[in-house]
Amino acid sequence: MKLLNKITLWFIGIVFLVTPITMVISRNNIKKHLDQAEIERMKAVNDRVAQQLRAGEKPDRYTHGRPIEIAAVPGPIPEGKVETKKDYAVAEDLGQKECRITVNSWYKVGNQYYKISSYNYVIRSEEIFRGMLGAVVWKMLLMILTVSITARLLSRKIFSPLRHTMKAIHRFDLKKKKKLQLPETNTTEFKELNAFLTKMTDKAVEDYAAVKEFSENASHELQTPLAVIRSKIELLSETNIDSVQAALIGDMQNAIEKLSHINRSLILLTKLENQEFKVSESIKFCRVAKDVMATYEDWITMREIKLTSSLDKNIPLSIHPALAEMLISNLLSNAIRHNRDGGQINVLLTASELCISNTGLPPQIPTCELFQRFKKSNQSADSIGLGLAIVKQICEVNNYTVVYDYADGWHSIRVSFYDKEALSVNGQGALSGADTMAV
Amino acid sequence: MLWGLSFARQKLQNCFKFTPHLAYRYVFMKVLIVEDNKELASGIYDYLNGEKYICELAYNFEAAREKLSLFTYDCILLDIMLPDGNGLELLKFIRQENIASGVLIISAKDALDDKVNGLEGGADDYVTKPFHLPELHARLRAIYRRKKLEGNNLVVFNEIVLNTDTVEAMINNTLLDVTRKEFDLLLYFVVNKNRVLSRQSIAAHLWGDYTDNLANFDFVYQHVKNLRKKISAAEGVDYIETVYGLGYKFNTSKT
Repeated sequence: MKLLNKITLWFIGIVFLVTPITMVISRNNIKKHLDQAEIERMKAVNDRVAQQLRAGEKPDRYTHGRPIEIAAVPGPIPEGKVETKKDYAVAEDLGQKECRITVNSWYKVGNQYYKISSYNYVIRSEEIFRGMLGAVVWKMLLMILTVSITARLLSRKIFSPLRHTMKAIHRFDLKKKKKLQLPETNTTEFKELNAFLTKMTDKAVEDYAAVKEFSENASHELQTPLAVIRSKIELLSETNIDSVQAALIGDMQNAIEKLSHINRSLILLTKLENQEFKVSESIKFCRVAKDVMATYEDWITMREIKLTSSLDKNIPLSIHPALAEMLISNLLSNAIRHNRDGGQINVLLTASELCISNTGLPPQIPTCELFQRFKKSNQSADSIGLGLAIVKQICEVNNYTVVYDYADGWHSIRVSFYDKEALSVNGQGALSGADTMAV
Repeated sequence: MLWGLSFARQKLQNCFKFTPHLAYRYVFMKVLIVEDNKELASGIYDYLNGEKYICELAYNFEAAREKLSLFTYDCILLDIMLPDGNGLELLKFIRQENIASGVLIISAKDALDDKVNGLEGGADDYVTKPFHLPELHARLRAIYRRKKLEGNNLVVFNEIVLNTDTVEAMINNTLLDVTRKEFDLLLYFVVNKNRVLSRQSIAAHLWGDYTDNLANFDFVYQHVKNLRKKISAAEGVDYIETVYGLGYKFNTSKT
């Protein structure tokens, strides 16, 4: 839920909660004041009547038509001389329950005590309430409307720095090595947020660059010592050695082979990340695929694997030729290495995708994880676990999508050259018409 | 004149073809090694010295330039990263001075653009650290064949004649039916005769640096086995022997 909607809802909730309370308070206040005014008026009327009595006039004329009662009472008179009474009774003329206020005043005129009482019907609190209710409904509607509208209008202005910041973070990419640019604001919270974000991202960019520089330099610096070790071991193997020493040297050579391969792959990955492979022209992908397949022919034959291929002709793609070769070569060598002897490989190349599938043991870990560096389905396997990471990186650099599936004993890796068509193209259909090439 | 030259060459080749054992001779190659890492330079020196090449070492840009101004070399091994300059600058110098040496670049960076830069700058070939010494040697010899032997495309050892242009192998004047890989393998052996060639080095030579060679050793075994079978079938001497735990060796002392 949007922050703005949340705030609006809370605000409206508070209005809903507070409004009834204010209604009760205002009703009470109004009622109190109305009653008070009525009482004051009746007191004044009583006083007037008493004055007339004192003056010896007959108050008949004045009291005529008014609900005033004059009665002579035996003393003594009550302390305050005035007494008010409120009662709710059904008025005879109106036929419904009404609120009546009676004011009794006692006076002493001559030696005689008089009780003068006046009463009047006042508005009941329910009526005030009913009157207020209509107004309150309108008031609430108006408030909700104005709050919602003004919140939207105002938030555009007030929250604009936040929106800009969020947009900037969204677009922020560590790999682009560009510092985060945030707009100026005079809101304290946003200022703090921006300062914090700028500091954090700057640090991240710095660290990332440092780590990358380190790994790049380390990889390059490792090449020379590796070359020294390799050449010295080669010279050592030419000397007079016995079989024990030969075995030791052989193991060392294996380790160095692995090391240099890892190193080379890491350098390649770094280069891919740095977008160092500029594409100038499109290449014929089908030709590259054919060439790569030819180089692996021997290996495939040796493992008695049946290779079925269907390569569409004339597929121009703008990709660096070395990367295209590496992409197919890595996929194909994987398909051979992780195959069983006498297994099968299908290579399918259409204008929109390349799909290489092979038979083999089911993967030990989720297939998507196999694209991570040094992740291998079989940890003891004799590969270094960077082949698919390189494939993934090549695909990312060229905006291809790559998916690894395993079903019914078949591993298939599908590289889609165009994102949109990835879903609509069905690779299986084209395979039926493929010319089968058994090697 | 031109006709005469080509005729002479034809004759030379024919003479190689029909009397191969006479054509076998040592190559007295003069090599300048420009490499700032002394251990690596000495490793290369030792290996090439074993081939009876005349090697000289230069550990930095200035020393290399001085040597190049004073002496002539058949081939130059050139490291790109030198403490006092860039190897590519030295390459420029070599071309400016019209030095006719073949140049093999050695670099820690295998950046593809470095490769292109090197080759466009007039280098003949390129190896990436860490390289195998036999590989370095094979490439050096290929450059030498191209540049100094005026494109002589025959590599000859006793009864074996390899034509690098047509990719044909002859044993006792009969054509050997070998695949491209087997030809490459035999050439690699002949160039690095009497050397222990590790399986790793053979795999890298045949399938390149980027393929995952780790699983290819069985494959190397298979290729060597096939090659030996074919040579034996052509009644050639089985020079190739297995070195236990390490790899293979082309042993010239076998008869």
